[in-house]
Amino acid sequence: MIETLLQSLDTLLLLLFGVCALVAAALMIVLRQPMRVAMALISTMVFLGGIYGLLGVHFIAAFQVLIYVGAVMVFMVYVIMLLEVRESEGRRYSGLLLPGLAGFVLLVGAIGVSVWRSLPPHHDSAGGAAFGISKFSISFLNDYWLHFELTSVLLLAAVVAALAVIRVSRRADEARRRG
Amino acid sequence: MLTLIVLLPLLGFLLNGVLATQLGGNRVGKSFVTIVGCGLPILSFLLVVKVFFDLQAGGYAPLVETAYRWALVGRSSFEIAFYFDRLSAVMALIVTGVGSVIHVYSVGYMAHDKSFGRFFAYLNLFLFFMLLLVLGRSLLVLFVGWEGVGLASYLLIGFWFEDLANARAGKKAFVVNRIGDAGFLLGMFVLYQAFGTLNMDSINSAFGIGAAKVVPASLVGILLFIGATGKSAQIPLHVWLPDAMAGPTPVSALIHAATMVTAGIYLVARMSGVYLHAPEASAVIAVVGVATAFFAATVAIVQTDIKKVLAYSTVSQLGLMFLALGVGAYGVAIFHVVTHAFFKACLFLGAGSVIHALGGEQDIRRMGGLRQRIPVTFWTFAIATAAIAGIPPLAGFFSKDEILWFAFASTRGGSPLLWGVAALTALMTAFYMFRLLWLTFMGESRMAAKVEAHVHESPLSMTGVLMLLALLSAVGGFFALPHFLEPQLPLPVVDEALHHLEKPLLVLSIVIAFAGLAAAAYVFGAGTSRAEGLQRRFAGLHRWLSGKYFIDELYERLIGRPLVWLSDFVFLRLGDRVLLDGTLNGLAALGRRGAGLLVRLQTGSLHLYAWFVLVGIVGALLWSWRHA
Amino acid sequence: MDRTQLLLGLAVALFSLGLLGVIVRRNVLVMLMCMELMLNGVILSLVTFAQQTATTVGAVLVFLIFVVATAEIALAIPIVLLLVREKRTLDLAAYSDLKG
Repeated sequence: MIETLLQSLDTLLLLLFGVCALVAAALMIVLRQPMRVAMALISTMVFLGGIYGLLGVHFIAAFQVLIYVGAVMVFMVYVIMLLEVRESEGRRYSGLLLPGLAGFVLLVGAIGVSVWRSLPPHHDSAGGAAFGISKFSISFLNDYWLHFELTSVLLLAAVVAALAVIRVSRRADEARRRG
Repeated sequence: MLTLIVLLPLLGFLLNGVLATQLGGNRVGKSFVTIVGCGLPILSFLLVVKVFFDLQAGGYAPLVETAYRWALVGRSSFEIAFYFDRLSAVMALIVTGVGSVIHVYSVGYMAHDKSFGRFFAYLNLFLFFMLLLVLGRSLLVLFVGWEGVGLASYLLIGFWFEDLANARAGKKAFVVNRIGDAGFLLGMFVLYQAFGTLNMDSINSAFGIGAAKVVPASLVGILLFIGATGKSAQIPLHVWLPDAMAGPTPVSALIHAATMVTAGIYLVARMSGVYLHAPEASAVIAVVGVATAFFAATVAIVQTDIKKVLAYSTVSQLGLMFLALGVGAYGVAIFHVVTHAFFKACLFLGAGSVIHALGGEQDIRRMGGLRQRIPVTFWTFAIATAAIAGIPPLAGFFSKDEILWFAFASTRGGSPLLWGVAALTALMTAFYMFRLLWLTFMGESRMAAKVEAHVHESPLSMTGVLMLLALLSAVGGFFALPHFLEPQLPLPVVDEALHHLEKPLLVLSIVIAFAGLAAAAYVFGAGTSRAEGLQRRFAGLHRWLSGKYFIDELYERLIGRPLVWLSDFVFLRLGDRVLLDGTLNGLAALGRRGAGLLVRLQTGSLHLYAWFVLVGIVGALLWSWRHA
Repeated sequence: MDRTQLLLGLAVALFSLGLLGVIVRRNVLVMLMCMELMLNGVILSLVTFAQQTATTVGAVLVFLIFVVATAEIALAIPIVLLLVREKRTLDLAAYSDLKG
């Protein structure tokens, strides 16, 4: 009985988190000020993290909150705060609002139908093979060690690119100062 | 040995052509050019003499020498091979012999010309190709020589090319020749397709055996004759020869009198095996020959340029040679080639001597009274004139009389009509040649004053050659060539019924020659008044003849102008500009317009680009449903 | 409708909302955030499929996406900053230098 209650609670929470994430995402489109949009995005991400947790992949939920919210979105908020002082309110929407909405509907329909068709008729175990971080990390560093190394190379490339950007910006500054 | 004979003049061309011209920086002086340029042809001549004695020692069995295998196509091979029999011997001796003496003459004639080295280089080149032509065993080698002498002729006619008229004359000669060559090539194709070889001895013997049923001999005969028409200046392709007088006089003597123009005669004589089985072709040759002879003679009567008279005379004499070929008297035609080489070369070189003496004057209306002042030139010219007119016992009498006899009595197409026209031509020949002699040398001087002051006899290098050629013109008739050639080129059978007319016709020929002489003496002897009177009375005819029957103008209007129109309007304006350029420009314009349309997609708005991404995703998904 | 379909539907919706946001919003920073939303939708669908199998390949891919997204944002922001310094506005309509 507790099982079925817990299971239904599970599903209910999943549904709740899902709806909230969707609403927050929709809010992103609608809100006017960028800071508020950032907050909406953060809440979407947190709700998604909750969904991951409910699915049993806790370490991914942790990554989501740590990396995505904790690093990426904080950086984003920082930049918004940096730039926002000078910013006056501009127009909210571009010229392509209506075509965009029409395309949106088409896109949802098209992808939805494609995904729907390709799903096997009765699939189980949403919740089945939940695996822990130890299994993940062992597999990551053994079977997928190449991807691991490539990841570090990617980060190195990012660092180099950042340095290059600094140099470009410095040169632009000097050019502007010289007139 | 034969290969060496052919290659020696080529060596002369290379040496002089590179070292003695602007190409090599004018490294060597005139003596080098003279020694190489004259020495090598003389050496060739001596070698020909030696080979001739070898031939005689071997019982006149043909000597064959293969120099090089040119190409191997499938199972057929084309070699550069040389063939020496009686006919080749005669031709080679004339080519190298008369050629060498004309080279020597040129030393004196071109002494003050700035392109001395280039001239001798071209002359040697010509000699090389001419030897290829007469010594070649296959029609292919002959054709190489044929084209090569055409090239040399073009180069030499336009030798003083700074004057555009000379260059144009050279171009005319080359182009007209090419028209004839089309027929020649077609004939070669037919022969090769039938026999698988182009060796002339093989083809002749094949026809002897009976190939006339397989291959229409007359077709081949006429095709080859078309080529001969171009090279030997017969109607309708004779128009280049008078214009070719724009070249230096030794060139006119060597190429356009003695050797190159006789290539057509040589071709027909060499392919006698074919023509013996081609009565239709032979008839065509005889008629074209005698018609050309007649018409050229009529034009020669009214020409006023000393070289033009001789040019038309050459065309006329070539016509008589073709007449002989047409009635089957191949050996007689070759005989006339030889005697003609002697006296025509002598005449041309004599004309050159006159021009040289008068400092460049060529119009006979402004000559006269030169008899005492340039005696050697006068006497050699007179001997050669008598020879061409047919005064016995000079060379021309023998050969011309044989032609007239066979034209009348040969069972292979001889007829009184042919004889009559030919005899008339002989009368006119005597007339205009003695006219030339009179107007140039005799009577009162009509020269311009400053020209008259500088009249001088030519140097020994020139007069020596004149004397040699005059001697040959005098005694050349006694060589009895037709009988020498008879084992190879049999004389045609003469109609028995007409045998008794041989002596009367002989006498008639002599009468004709002297009648021409007398008429010329009458009309031109005592000043120009009688000549002018005749000219006034027959003014229309005179205009027609002076304009050479306006054939050049006819060709220009019938062929030249339509071709130019075709090239300009159809090919240039329509084809090149509208079609080709239009297509390319159109494609480019299409590309530009397409790009102009597509560039409207690039509005610079990222939103639009992102929207395109969305549309692309939707489109791809929808497209993937086709196979769902 | 079971959980998988629900989650996948949510993933599709998130992705589409993100793409819509890129097309529709004018502010550059908001556009960047919408791109992050798209990535999140993709991650959700990956996780949904991943934990149906017994292998870890899906999780590895998710991890890689995290890394790439981080590196991307770390560089995209400075580029945007430089651009903003040039144009003095965050409005994307001003960035049409590549027109034509």
